[in-house]
Amino acid sequence: MNPLPIVRALFRRNRGTVLLFMGLIALAVGLGVAISAQERALRKGSARAADRFDLIVAAPGSQTDVLLNVVYLQPSAIELVDPTILAGLLAEPKASLVAPVAFGDSVDGFSVVGTTAAFVERLAGPLAEGRIFRNRSEVVIGAVSPFRIGDRMRPVHGHGAAAEGPHAAELTVVGRMARTGTPWDAAIVAPVEHNWAVHGLPTGHPPDSEAIGPPYDPSRLPGVPAVVVVPDSVPSAYGLRNAYRTAETTAFFPAEVLVQLYAILGDVRSVMDTLAIATQVLVIAAILAGLMAVTEIQRERFAVLRALGAPRSYIFAVVWVAVTAMVTAGAAAGLAVGWAAAAVLSRFIARETGIAMTASIGSGEIGLALLLVAVGGAVAMIPATLVLRQPVAESLRG
Amino acid sequence: MSEGARLSAHGLSASFRDEDGRRFEVLDAVDFAPAPGRFTVITGASGSGKSTLFNLLSGLLPPRAGEVRFDGRGISALGEGARDRWRRVSLGLVFQNFHLLDELGPVQNVTVPALFGAFSDRRYRPRAEALLDRLGVPGGRRTLHGMSRGERQRVAVARALLFDPPVVLADEPTASLDAVSGAGVLAILRDLAREGRTVVVVSHDPSALSMADTAFRLGAGKLEPMAETAP
Repeated sequence: MNPLPIVRALFRRNRGTVLLFMGLIALAVGLGVAISAQERALRKGSARAADRFDLIVAAPGSQTDVLLNVVYLQPSAIELVDPTILAGLLAEPKASLVAPVAFGDSVDGFSVVGTTAAFVERLAGPLAEGRIFRNRSEVVIGAVSPFRIGDRMRPVHGHGAAAEGPHAAELTVVGRMARTGTPWDAAIVAPVEHNWAVHGLPTGHPPDSEAIGPPYDPSRLPGVPAVVVVPDSVPSAYGLRNAYRTAETTAFFPAEVLVQLYAILGDVRSVMDTLAIATQVLVIAAILAGLMAVTEIQRERFAVLRALGAPRSYIFAVVWVAVTAMVTAGAAAGLAVGWAAAAVLSRFIARETGIAMTASIGSGEIGLALLLVAVGGAVAMIPATLVLRQPVAESLRG
Repeated sequence: MSEGARLSAHGLSASFRDEDGRRFEVLDAVDFAPAPGRFTVITGASGSGKSTLFNLLSGLLPPRAGEVRFDGRGISALGEGARDRWRRVSLGLVFQNFHLLDELGPVQNVTVPALFGAFSDRRYRPRAEALLDRLGVPGGRRTLHGMSRGERQRVAVARALLFDPPVVLADEPTASLDAVSGAGVLAILRDLAREGRTVVVVSHDPSALSMADTAFRLGAGKLEPMAETAP
């Protein structure tokens, strides 16, 4: 028994309708796949971006705000960590690296972040070109920054239309970091002493000193928005986190906050998934109605096949294979459409946020498409069964 | 082709209900036994029940009473699968409107009945090509487009002959053809009878009657023999 030639003939006869149905299925699947793939890309990209920020210590307040400031460089007002606590952290024996992070300035909309040379290396590894800053008027730039080595700039205080300035101090670009896949790739990274100095704060060094980096004088430290701490071991990490969860500070692993954010994102995703599934159900229902109309139009053809000796199982197979093939092709096209949409969205979001993200089709999306194919296969039995109920002799008269 | 295969109808009755729900008899205890090797034509006015008889003889309609036998076996007693196979292998059906699949080529149309069975339709392509050649359908055509109605009906006849059936039933095979094409198709059907097949043509075409070996007239539910037109 070979239903394929008749299925092909059916498709050729109803080319426009078949393409329309397949397009609808592809759109419905593509929507679900795009949502799912994009959400995963965002989740992975944001998690990867936070990888190098082992433990963040900040003033009490919203951990999410601190995370957005420190990792994703989304400026917002946050309280400062008291200088004495910063001094204590800098002397912390369980930490292999303690890096104060200061921000608030920008150049042409690009954040100027102050930190230490050691943290630049921790974040991005060896520089892609040039060298690390050696004094308060030198900066390095992120991998995708539009600036070049040798460029000079004067930061303004704040971002965008609310910015004030510019500051008197001029900065010169001396190096470019390797790509990190984080918003830091577009940033301008200065010695933290530069940020402190231009805002009239103590710099951790004597007033007439131009030194940068540790060791710092504990009595000359200012408050800082956040401190990135790299613990020397896993037990130390948990120990430090607990030690700095006090009335004066909060300490957290970025992953902790991301998990909470993902839970919210997950709720949104489940709503979107439900909408996508509802869309697919509606599309299948519409297609089923269309198919019943098409099979009604084709009843004479099926009657001819029956008259020529086709068993009921053959007619059933023709209709079932036709519908299932259409749903399968639509679902496969939907996977491709969904992946393409997610890829375009990822590229757009990466450009806007600096978070590197790659859209990919995972088992969830393939499972979604397979589920639709399975439902389509089951639903296909309805028109296939209805065709068999049509009286042959009557249908032959057209 | 199996020799001596006989198709016969015994006390065949059929009735339908009209729009008001009243039952009216189309066929009333019809007995019919067309002889193999003879070109049999059944004629009658429109609505006399010619197509109903065609559908009953081909097992597409169940009779209200009586039965159709093939080689002495009642086809109603066959299971549905066996009846489908019987119609596929032992009957060749030809329709007024050809009922070809326009999206397939002539050879593919002829091999359509082979799609229902266990063997690949490719196995029957040489036979399909030979049949088309024999019936005068120009070879090498890949589609039905551009074929005349007469040529299309010849393709339909070739399809009916794919499994070399002992019985060929045709329902108004010339009704949608011009006179010349119709005469050509009737000549083919008569030649098939000459080869020993049972050929029954249901038609109101006078030229079919003029070529018939045996003719019947259907009217008022009864099938009456007409004078034989050939020895």
